[in-house]
Amino acid sequence: MKFANLWRKPTRWAVFRIDDRPLLMGIGLIVGICSGLAALALNRSLEAMFEWLHHYRHYWWAFILPGAGAALSSLFLDKVAKEGAGHGVPEVIYSVSRYGGLLRFRSAWSRLVSSCLTIGSGGSAGPEAPVVMSGAAIGSNIARYFSLNDRQRVVIVGCGAAGAISSIFNAPIAGLVFTVEVVLGEWTAVNIVPIAIAAVAGTEVSRILNGNQIAFSHPGFHIDLPDIAACIGLAVVTAAASVLLTRALRSMHHISAKVPAAPWARAMIGGCAVGLIGFALPVVMGEGYHSIREIITNSFEGGVAIVAVATLAKVLATSLTLGWGGSGGIFAPCLVVGSLAGLAYHRFLVLLMPSVDWVAEGCFALLGMAGLVSGILQAPLTGIFLIVEITGGYGVILPLILVSAISTTLCHYVEPASFYLKDLVERGHLLRPGTDARVLSDLSVNELLETDCITVSPNMSLRDFIDVIKRSHRNHFPVADEETGRFLGMIQLQDIRPYLFDPVMYDAVILEQIMDPRPDVVHPNEDLSEVLRRMDARRLFSMPVVADRKFLGMISKATLLDQYRKELRVQTVVSG
Amino acid sequence: MEPKLFHIFRNTPLGRETLLQSVYFCKTVGADMEIYLPEHTKFLMYFENDVVQIDLDPSYLTAPETARDHAGALAEAGKIRYDFLAPKHFTASTLPDIPTHFDFMCCPRSISDLSSKIGLGYIGPRVRRIVQSARFPVLLTSSVFKPWKSIAVFFGGSTNAVKSLKLGFRLARITGMPLKIYTQMENYSRADYEKVIADHGLEKAVADEVAEWRLFGTGDLEANLYEVDHDALVILGAFGHGVVRDVLFGSKMEKIQSAMPNNLLIVGPKYAAIH
Repeated sequence: MKFANLWRKPTRWAVFRIDDRPLLMGIGLIVGICSGLAALALNRSLEAMFEWLHHYRHYWWAFILPGAGAALSSLFLDKVAKEGAGHGVPEVIYSVSRYGGLLRFRSAWSRLVSSCLTIGSGGSAGPEAPVVMSGAAIGSNIARYFSLNDRQRVVIVGCGAAGAISSIFNAPIAGLVFTVEVVLGEWTAVNIVPIAIAAVAGTEVSRILNGNQIAFSHPGFHIDLPDIAACIGLAVVTAAASVLLTRALRSMHHISAKVPAAPWARAMIGGCAVGLIGFALPVVMGEGYHSIREIITNSFEGGVAIVAVATLAKVLATSLTLGWGGSGGIFAPCLVVGSLAGLAYHRFLVLLMPSVDWVAEGCFALLGMAGLVSGILQAPLTGIFLIVEITGGYGVILPLILVSAISTTLCHYVEPASFYLKDLVERGHLLRPGTDARVLSDLSVNELLETDCITVSPNMSLRDFIDVIKRSHRNHFPVADEETGRFLGMIQLQDIRPYLFDPVMYDAVILEQIMDPRPDVVHPNEDLSEVLRRMDARRLFSMPVVADRKFLGMISKATLLDQYRKELRVQTVVSG
Repeated sequence: MEPKLFHIFRNTPLGRETLLQSVYFCKTVGADMEIYLPEHTKFLMYFENDVVQIDLDPSYLTAPETARDHAGALAEAGKIRYDFLAPKHFTASTLPDIPTHFDFMCCPRSISDLSSKIGLGYIGPRVRRIVQSARFPVLLTSSVFKPWKSIAVFFGGSTNAVKSLKLGFRLARITGMPLKIYTQMENYSRADYEKVIADHGLEKAVADEVAEWRLFGTGDLEANLYEVDHDALVILGAFGHGVVRDVLFGSKMEKIQSAMPNNLLIVGPKYAAIH
């Protein structure tokens, strides 16, 4: 029994008490392998489902397939897994920022099954976000098993996300960068090493079982100055497409919420609509990697108008799939929309300036992908490294950096928060490491309560009150009803200043006459960031804490900032 | 601050009985109540090292327009201090996070069962997860409101049993009710149990404050449970072993709660006992 306890609590081993990095690296390796396998399982399931349904795609009723898949996916999440729809990445970020990366075990498998049903049946979504959710949940539960603390658990959650992304794209650097840039939002050496190991483990799992495949290999591109200059325009186009996709997804979500139907019925409606679009433009169906390969190898047919329409159709299909209740992520749709946007832009340039010797259109498709990913996630490094790794070369690194940087910047002006963070920011739930809100979220009003105040009665005379002041070292005095203990107001030293030098008033004035009957009060459950904001807004240095009409104590800005400093030290020392 | 009990209100006759139990508990032990009127059939509780999703059955969403009035009226009638809990944080739009800083939580036995059933005879894994992770004891109420007149602690010598004994002392002192201890002797003698009590410094308290200590040397647990007062609040420690062992050998907590209609107060391994 004791051995079992010790095994499950490795942080108590003497060797890890001083330095837990080897422990995190070891657990990171296990998590990387597990999440890599989960990603691979989804990949194989999707391939099998595509293969199975391929024979039915030419029938007239095939438009129902994505609808049926999305409906089944919604029913599965609602009735079996009992989870909400969506891709889950905001949930991972929320959990990391507020609850030390605690995630339910069911999240390790629920999104894999639901996204397989949605995407495999033809819905326009990607498998990457579901595997991030799955990998993160695997990491969280392994960390829970080993009784790791919040900081360690967050790192292991990151390992899960990195292992999954690395495995699905065969791209270890992209997995590492995505995790640190998007999921954790914190670059520290303590985080990076275990996450890098998990990313390598995830990639190796993929290479051993799937082969070392480059997702979108290309023949190589020769880039000249006109192409570099044209990249600025491409960045604008991809930024516009990013904003369009973000807004379309959100507005579809709002529209579908107004439809008086069960969630599975809504998902079915969205899926069937995608099926109908897919009859005319098959490029919108599924994750769309086949179409990207066609685009990069310059074999995608159609003029600039057709490609532009296909871009908009993909945006619409993704919004219909995910906004109406299907399950999946936006990573793969971003890559498809980006490649189509890049292709459309290239063909427009050729039409406009046919005499210029432009680079092959596949190159602009790659750059478009980077622009879209960087824009919608507002994560330029993820966009750059992902495209470098999935295309197998650094040949286009300079325009990649340019497009990613400009696209991210432009998107940030229009949409200050990325697609993953928008909801969290709007709800005030994003607590990135090192921010005021994050530091204060670990403290509570009760911890800062100063209870050495002397409570006075409303009928007390000024003379008696002056005696009380002599005994007290505080400037604030709560006034409470003698019989019921009900809080009535506050008296501050400055309130009695006008009467202090007039002894005639000592017996003429009672405290009820001079107290502040409506002071700003704090409830014990209130967030400290909100308390601090109110103190700043009203220029207060302390406020009474009141619950159930009873005075509990004072909370002062000095104590709050003192504790803030201590907490900041704890958080930065352990993570730095 | 007064201790707080967390109650999830169900606006049905069964929910009324459960709330009456909670109101009585609060009134008797001097606790305030935080009532949650669910708007969704699931919510999350983030504990120190675990997150538990509670899936309520749809009856918890019955007649939301009258739920607040009904719950408020019962709490007012019980003359206790109460407040309604409005979740501030949401993991997903339909998945609120419920705080875990309470001193007690009322867990009607039915929320633990399969969502479609009102299974009053089964605690289930979900409530066990709460018991395992929570720093507060969990009150499992009987199906019909019944005031309790004494406190019965089931003491088996484990760490959690010691915690439950300490809680029993605390509640007996607050309520002034008699405290009885019941022990099903399993390969141990009375001296062994007394040693455990002495090791935890509870020897004097047991001698002075316990009205009766019944040790059952023979007979199986279910049969001996008949000896426990029908109107006692039963306090017991959750042993906290794994699911596999529960499936193979059965859970003692499960046996007790399925055989006894009394209100139960379950103490988990994370409960910080105050003596």
